[in-house]
Amino acid sequence: MSTMAVPDVAVAPVDEGFWTRGRKVGLTLLALGLLAAVLFGALATDQQARFTLSDDAAGAALEINGTIGAILFGIITIAAGAALLAGVPKRWFLPVLGVGLVGFVLSFLCWQVSAAPTGQNFMPLVNIIRGTFILALPLIFGALAGVLCERSGVVNVAIEGQLLMGAFSGALFGSISGSVWVGLVAAAIGGAFISLLLAIFAIRYLVDQVVIGIVLNLLAVGVTGFLYERLMQTNIERYNSAPRFGNWNIPLLEDIPVLGPALFRGNIFLYLGLLLVLVIHIALFRTRWGLRTRSVGEHPTAADTLGVKVLRVRYRNVLLAGVVAGIGGASYTLALYSFTKNMIGGKGFIALAALIFGRWNPTGALLAALFFGFADQLATYLGAINSVIPSQFLAMLPYLATILAVAGLVGRVRAPAADGKPYIKG
Amino acid sequence: MRSVRGMRIASIFAVGGLVLSAAACGEAPDEDNNAGSGAKKFSACMVTDVGGIDDKSFNTSAWKGLQDAKAANSNIDTKFVASKAEADYEPNLTQYVNQKCDFILAVGGLMANATSKIAKANPNQAFGIVDANPGDANVYPMQFDTAQAAFQAGYLAAGMSKSGKVGTYGGLPIPPVTIFMDGFVDGVAHYNKTKGKNVQALGWNKETQKGSFTNDFAKQDEGKKVSDALVAQGADIIMPVAGGSGLGTTSAAKASGGKYSTIWVDVDGCESTPDCSAIVTTVVKNIPEAVKEAVLKAAGGEKLQASPGFVGTLANNGVSIAPYHDFESKVPAELKAEVDKIKADIAAGTITVTSKAQPTK
Repeated sequence: MSTMAVPDVAVAPVDEGFWTRGRKVGLTLLALGLLAAVLFGALATDQQARFTLSDDAAGAALEINGTIGAILFGIITIAAGAALLAGVPKRWFLPVLGVGLVGFVLSFLCWQVSAAPTGQNFMPLVNIIRGTFILALPLIFGALAGVLCERSGVVNVAIEGQLLMGAFSGALFGSISGSVWVGLVAAAIGGAFISLLLAIFAIRYLVDQVVIGIVLNLLAVGVTGFLYERLMQTNIERYNSAPRFGNWNIPLLEDIPVLGPALFRGNIFLYLGLLLVLVIHIALFRTRWGLRTRSVGEHPTAADTLGVKVLRVRYRNVLLAGVVAGIGGASYTLALYSFTKNMIGGKGFIALAALIFGRWNPTGALLAALFFGFADQLATYLGAINSVIPSQFLAMLPYLATILAVAGLVGRVRAPAADGKPYIKG
Repeated sequence: MRSVRGMRIASIFAVGGLVLSAAACGEAPDEDNNAGSGAKKFSACMVTDVGGIDDKSFNTSAWKGLQDAKAANSNIDTKFVASKAEADYEPNLTQYVNQKCDFILAVGGLMANATSKIAKANPNQAFGIVDANPGDANVYPMQFDTAQAAFQAGYLAAGMSKSGKVGTYGGLPIPPVTIFMDGFVDGVAHYNKTKGKNVQALGWNKETQKGSFTNDFAKQDEGKKVSDALVAQGADIIMPVAGGSGLGTTSAAKASGGKYSTIWVDVDGCESTPDCSAIVTTVVKNIPEAVKEAVLKAAGGEKLQASPGFVGTLANNGVSIAPYHDFESKVPAELKAEVDKIKADIAAGTITVTSKAQPTK
């Protein structure tokens, strides 16, 4: 992701012969579909697989016979694969692929839900969707922090540290002041503090950005861990019992079936995260700031020639990234949990993967984060219904998918050209 | 050059961070300074596993046991060393052998192999180990049949559940965890049998030994994630057996405003978590008492018998159910009486609780 030689020229369409990417994907999809129809169909039981439109077993549900469902959705995947194999116009590629993958997942679910122990043959959709977003939330904030940094040419491996510092200062200052808002601001400042160090060392002192990122993660773990033991633990009541943001129901939107209860009865962090995706996306591609940021990230010399203050743009963006990640960290300590040592536990690195999977694009990062969140939530659900699939296997699914995706499923993944390269005016 | 200077400062950060996180892991090893001790005291030395002395679980509990022994007998001297990695177990144990500790306590099943190896090399040295039984004559095993108390908890949960579904999940599928889950599930089954009800226990299948796990003992979000799924399946009482991850469940239960509640494990949740109001009771593993007794006996000159060792049961109070605290008024008196009756029945042997993870004798 850092300084590999990336050809800046637009990739010329290469003549790939018969086996174009579309056809290869189509063949894979076809195989998946066959697997789904035959294997899942055979393993599924005659039980009704219920997908309830609520938080639990109650209420209306979409129902389908397990075996029929597994075979039917498998056939849909086969059809999608066959379509790609036969060759479809380029703009149809993604929708058809999407249909194929969704069919595969649904076939799998029909098998799993119908094979669940008696009384558990249902999947609560509201719970699944809400869980997906909750699990994706730290990834969304983290990946956005990555977008802000890396689009301006600074590699941000310190996301983990920024989240952790945000969570810590949110908890500490929220507790001391007794105000969630003070906590939120403190969290943003905490994240920005790590960012400031990143900026100074990467921009001013030209230290290798990946190295300084990892160093800052270590520093954040050390500092917060030390203060946790020596300060917070001495008086938990005073230093580690921050007030919490409650859930806010959004009028009208909360009445939408399924999505309403799942998404619009959440806390401020969920709304903030989704809003930030929108704002950053628009800002990045529609405003002067965004154009400058991208130009600095792609070709700083050219930007400089045109009068853009390269270093100033980079400092500002790195600091902004810290603010965003800091708020993301606060979503841990100002919503539900009390602070504990190393509580982010690697989510910052997964956010980095979501950033790459999402092609350094805010919307892409959101979708990647949601995909990871869904895989995680699905694994949890399967554990709860006593599935035969080992939970470890499902836990590795998102990473497997990332490798596949980066290897070519989502097309060329290209980092901003100047990502990780310090700019020396000269 | 600027980048060189930057690199230097950066390396200071790296070292600083590592030192701080190491410093946070409790006191530095309490070195023995032999000088000054007039009469020879009985030294009880403890080696923690990687959880460290502040794990709020078995390391903390075992250390408390040593402190209690010291308080009870002023001729006992205690010290500990924290292991930071599994590779530290053998050197730490050897260090205490060389310092001529009278009793060396190893904590946790993960240390079984290292302890056994060092014990074989030093057959005259007295060792003790919590949560494992390596089977060496000079290693006194202290194990806990937590399935018995978890059985009570399962019965209690089944009796308290309004939805007719209760749940449990673990940190990792390892015996010290699954023993709780086995007992819990059996307790629910016992309730169904005696009451003719059909309360379901989610998250663990005793026959197939499969269920819900966080694959982690620290992250609260992992714990909440799993319990959310169980709650969505209808469970209204959850027993997390996942160390700190379980805190995610207790805080979410507290925030749910009574929609569901929890059962804590190891150390009374009203003392070890901030979420007492959401905790019905705790399946307590009385490590401090066991360690204290062992050390006092050893200090008194009694030889600790490695066979049978110590197995904590309901009968000897090695495992128990904690007080109901905030649920004192919510648990019906009749149910309380039945839970107490189960304790008596298990202690008397009229009910036998079985688990593949039970301590080996």
